[in-house]
Amino acid sequence: MRTVNIRVNGKLVSRPVEDRLSLADFVRDHCLLTGTHVGCEHGVCGACTLLMDGKPVRSCITLAAAADECDVRTVEGYRDDPLMQAIHAAFNLRHALQCGFCTPGMLATAYDMLSRIPDLDRDRIRIELGGNLCRCTGYLSIIQAIEDVHAQRVAKAATPPSKG
Amino acid sequence: MKPAPLSYSRPEALSGVLDALRQSSGDARVIAGGQSLGPMLNFRIAQPRQLVDISRIDALCTTAMEGDALAIGACVTHARIEDGEIPDVTLGLMRHIARGIAYRAVRNRGTIGGSLAHADPAADWLATMIALDASVRLQSTPGVRQLKVADFVVGALDTQIVEAEVISHVLVPRLTASARWGHNKYAKKSGDFAESAAISIFDGERGVARVVLGRRAEPPALMQRTSEQLAADGGRPSGGAEAAVEADLRSLGVKPGDWTMHRVIVMRALRDMAT
Amino acid sequence: MSGFGIGASLPRLEDARFLEGRGQFCADVALPGMLHAAFVRSPHAHARILAIRKPVGFEEQVFCAADLAGVGRIRSTAKLPGFKPSDWPVLAAGKVKHAGEPVVMAIGSTPAEAEDIAAQVEVEFAQLPPVVSMWDALKSGASLVHDEWGDNVLVDLKLENGDLAAAKAAAVHTVERSFRMNRMHPLALEGRACVASYDSRLDELVVYVAHQLPVPLQIGLSQVLGISQRRLRIIAPDVGGSFGLKTYIESETVCVAWAAMKLRRPVRWVQDRYESLVCDANCRDYHAKVTAYADASGKVLGMECDVIVDSGAYSPWPWPAGIEGGLAMGNMQGCYDIRAFRGRAINVVSNKPAGQPFRGVARPLSCLGHEVVMDALAEAVGIDPVEIRLRNFVRPEQMPYASITKKTLDSGNYSAALKRSAELIDLPAVRARQKKGEPDGRLIGVGFASFYEQTAYGTGPFGYALWGIELVPGMEPAVARLTGDGELILEVGTHSHGQGHETVFAQLAYEVLGIDPRKVSVRFGDTSTSPVGTGTYTSRSMVSAGGAIVEACRLLQGPISKIGAHLLQCQEADVSLRDGRVFGPRGSVELAEIGRAWYHHPEDLPEKMDVAGLTATAGHKPHDPGVFAYSAHAAVVAVDPEVGSVEVIDYAIVADCGKRVNPLLVEGQVIGGFSNGLGNALYEESTYDDQGQPTATTLADYTAPTAPSIPDVKLEFIETPSPYAMFGIKGIGENGAIGPPAAIANAVNDALRPLKASVFETPITASRVRAAVMRARSAGGA
Repeated sequence: MRTVNIRVNGKLVSRPVEDRLSLADFVRDHCLLTGTHVGCEHGVCGACTLLMDGKPVRSCITLAAAADECDVRTVEGYRDDPLMQAIHAAFNLRHALQCGFCTPGMLATAYDMLSRIPDLDRDRIRIELGGNLCRCTGYLSIIQAIEDVHAQRVAKAATPPSKG
Repeated sequence: MKPAPLSYSRPEALSGVLDALRQSSGDARVIAGGQSLGPMLNFRIAQPRQLVDISRIDALCTTAMEGDALAIGACVTHARIEDGEIPDVTLGLMRHIARGIAYRAVRNRGTIGGSLAHADPAADWLATMIALDASVRLQSTPGVRQLKVADFVVGALDTQIVEAEVISHVLVPRLTASARWGHNKYAKKSGDFAESAAISIFDGERGVARVVLGRRAEPPALMQRTSEQLAADGGRPSGGAEAAVEADLRSLGVKPGDWTMHRVIVMRALRDMAT
Repeated sequence: MSGFGIGASLPRLEDARFLEGRGQFCADVALPGMLHAAFVRSPHAHARILAIRKPVGFEEQVFCAADLAGVGRIRSTAKLPGFKPSDWPVLAAGKVKHAGEPVVMAIGSTPAEAEDIAAQVEVEFAQLPPVVSMWDALKSGASLVHDEWGDNVLVDLKLENGDLAAAKAAAVHTVERSFRMNRMHPLALEGRACVASYDSRLDELVVYVAHQLPVPLQIGLSQVLGISQRRLRIIAPDVGGSFGLKTYIESETVCVAWAAMKLRRPVRWVQDRYESLVCDANCRDYHAKVTAYADASGKVLGMECDVIVDSGAYSPWPWPAGIEGGLAMGNMQGCYDIRAFRGRAINVVSNKPAGQPFRGVARPLSCLGHEVVMDALAEAVGIDPVEIRLRNFVRPEQMPYASITKKTLDSGNYSAALKRSAELIDLPAVRARQKKGEPDGRLIGVGFASFYEQTAYGTGPFGYALWGIELVPGMEPAVARLTGDGELILEVGTHSHGQGHETVFAQLAYEVLGIDPRKVSVRFGDTSTSPVGTGTYTSRSMVSAGGAIVEACRLLQGPISKIGAHLLQCQEADVSLRDGRVFGPRGSVELAEIGRAWYHHPEDLPEKMDVAGLTATAGHKPHDPGVFAYSAHAAVVAVDPEVGSVEVIDYAIVADCGKRVNPLLVEGQVIGGFSNGLGNALYEESTYDDQGQPTATTLADYTAPTAPSIPDVKLEFIETPSPYAMFGIKGIGENGAIGPPAAIANAVNDALRPLKASVFETPITASRVRAAVMRARSAGGA
């Protein structure tokens, strides 16, 4: 047992946990944030993907103890984030979710690639999504939604700032 | 599944790690990014009593030139290599390989040292480091030793690492500016372990010609005749390459049903050198 | 048509909770004092249990079959001739019949602790020779899965119609193909899960289960547990995909329910992926041989097929294993006008997990059958694969068409769909490219698959009642209730686990009552509040529950209009409903006024109101033979004959499911189904070694399609309404999954034709392609 101190969605959470507890189970059972889903517990399906110190990681194979003193952002932690709001809107418009189980992992991955890769195109989006399994949508709507958000951002960046 | 009970520690320095390992009488394991060990813990295939986390030890996360080789801290992640955050001594080869490892979320945590210590035969770094004739530096309380990666890996998931020993650095010889490399792989899906992979390196100035074949279940192997042919061809693969490849596949005991696949992948890697 | 009604591509109303991480799946249900279950499973495919030793100090937390007092067995039956029922034990007793079969349940205060305790249980086994494959099962003198049966044949079905002898005699071309579709896993991303808790105030056991059929589960589970239905509440909350997987009575559900009652504490079980890949009821696992007899022009005069289905060790409840063979055979004639048929379908058992219907249910096999045979015929006759199909299709003017296997094809234009699919891939350009050759040495191939999908079929005479199984759909109910503030609640007996019912059913209500879908709650999945329907399966929800919703909303129009007319002081005949208001000649009132009057101010009501008031219950009986959606798939592949890799470089789908309520969601169903079909065709296989040990037990070994695997798909729709369904709607849920194995197999074999190589086994892996090329080379091929 040990006490971990993890900043979850901006709030410091301090809890005694078993050393073997995964970060996924920590956010789900201790922080009561059940939006992070567990689909395989061996780091392949991607449903558990969340941001740790700003980078997407597999929370099912990360120990909570290893995340001590880190910043964790789960799917519940994007209120008022304009990029995530744009992603939500695009996912809704393009029907990029059906059962919703893979969605939190998809959102984390989408958020990361849109933030990190300036020259995203359809092929690159496909590859970056390759670590997130979905059985419902067939991926094309998810790829399209991310493409939409990227195009919006490119257009916005190209728009000259308004005067005054 | 959930891991068996364990205790976790994170010493501040490598000396603390070595002490913990030495005192544990074989029941402790080092964990870096956890991308290989994490699943094994969850499946209860690995049930160490102690986990010693080395991922945040500064000395293992930095790089430095040591003569003509780059010493890469064992805990440097694949993502940092992919993003060009370490000096490029391989004319972009390592950056290219890093980008093709699994998925970004795995690359953010997985480390080059961890990958070599786990020694999954299909791990991209294994074949790459053997092709580059790289070495691992192993530290234990008694001292330090260095082994060529080709000798370090003895079988699938099997290395020469001993109890209470840790990979501290991977030493990659610098390629000269005129060197060339080629790479090709076939995996069932993007991000999966490759069914077949080949890396070829020609560095005429240093007299290096190495062609390595990576397979799914057997550790990567240096293709002797293909490498010799590459040297004889001055680094520009000729018509003789294919016969050399076939000879090597035979002596490596490649299954007949896989011949055409491996032959094609190796030939593509050789052709890739020209671009 | 507006932005909200039938035909509107309304973005889903239920998305918000999933995007914000506020969904509630079984694993998210946490009750005070909750305990956790873990299972000890058989490591052997076939063995006698000699002894079970519980860890000292944990005897009160560890349970085996002998401890489950009062619990019966799961017994799935059918009236198919010769069908042999079997008992599926809740926990194994006597013998284990597949690797992964649960033997002991351990209870802990955390999942990790439950696993720790389970790890200390010792079970002694004496191994028996396993029956691993269907061929093992059929060998004479084979080991028996069920000792009391005498053989390993679950059911042997035959179907004959028309004069096959005459067809054979008249045939100019005879083609025969044999092929294998290997076992797969439905691989819903959320594993199976349940939480059971006893509510002492209501004297009711509450069981949350990830499930598609809440009411049938209530019925079956009450029987196995030995408690009355009124004391059992099933709640299927948000479910993370199912595709047919989560439709049976699971041992784990029974155990967890029993433990909750025994321990008087809530108990939860959440499956992990390894468990899932080892022991879940999985699917497919077929072999078929199909022969077609055709005249000189390629018109098929008769067809024969012999199908073998390996159904694993047990029959799931309610869908026993024999159904798949019957369906495979019964759909083997496809969209073609064939008048003579002989079929045989043998379902065998083996020492593998139970076989369970998965998206498409045997139709992917039928489709593979009739489509590879069509290509074979095209080659024999010397015409192209599009032309051979056009010569054989049932034509629109022949509909309704009673097929040789007793299907009534209701409406559609198979030729139009196929021709359009060929246009979408630009067939002439592909053929030119194929002739020219690729610079990288890959071989181009084109393949087609035309098929129908029987959806929303019902009671009889050739539907569920014929099989005599425990689930027979009849009248599907719905309840519509206008609330006191003028909004709407709809309750249905189906279940949405990705299909978007919370949106599309609200769209149907809008069509009738003019209420904004954002003011409509669609409720399902809870036997306390859902009307008694049979659930979601066979692509039926829109037709059956949708029909019931329309009927219930139509019933509500009466009282709403009556109260509205009274408030507006006009004649009932002069009012209309739209935009959430009742409009009369001289004004309007909002629906909140209607609700207020009924619920709070009876003094404002007209006389002679029906006591049902603003609650309407209706039922809809879909057309028993079902309604037939159909599609044409066209695949273009590039095959590397030396590496063996197959890349789908173009794919077109032309689908017709009649009137589409929400085209955006329909597209999602087709593309999602396509990705499952692509997995079936190229990637997914549940493999076993010669001891019956599962070898694809992680997602690194069991490979499912990911984003880079999916090509862009050209998708178009035709809308030919069904004359037999409300608004002409047909089902679509399974459609996309049926075509790809056939289209892709045909394309790969078209590519490999110059090498005289072929692959007739799915998934078409690189090693199978290489092996086929090697075989052809050593046989003296090109």
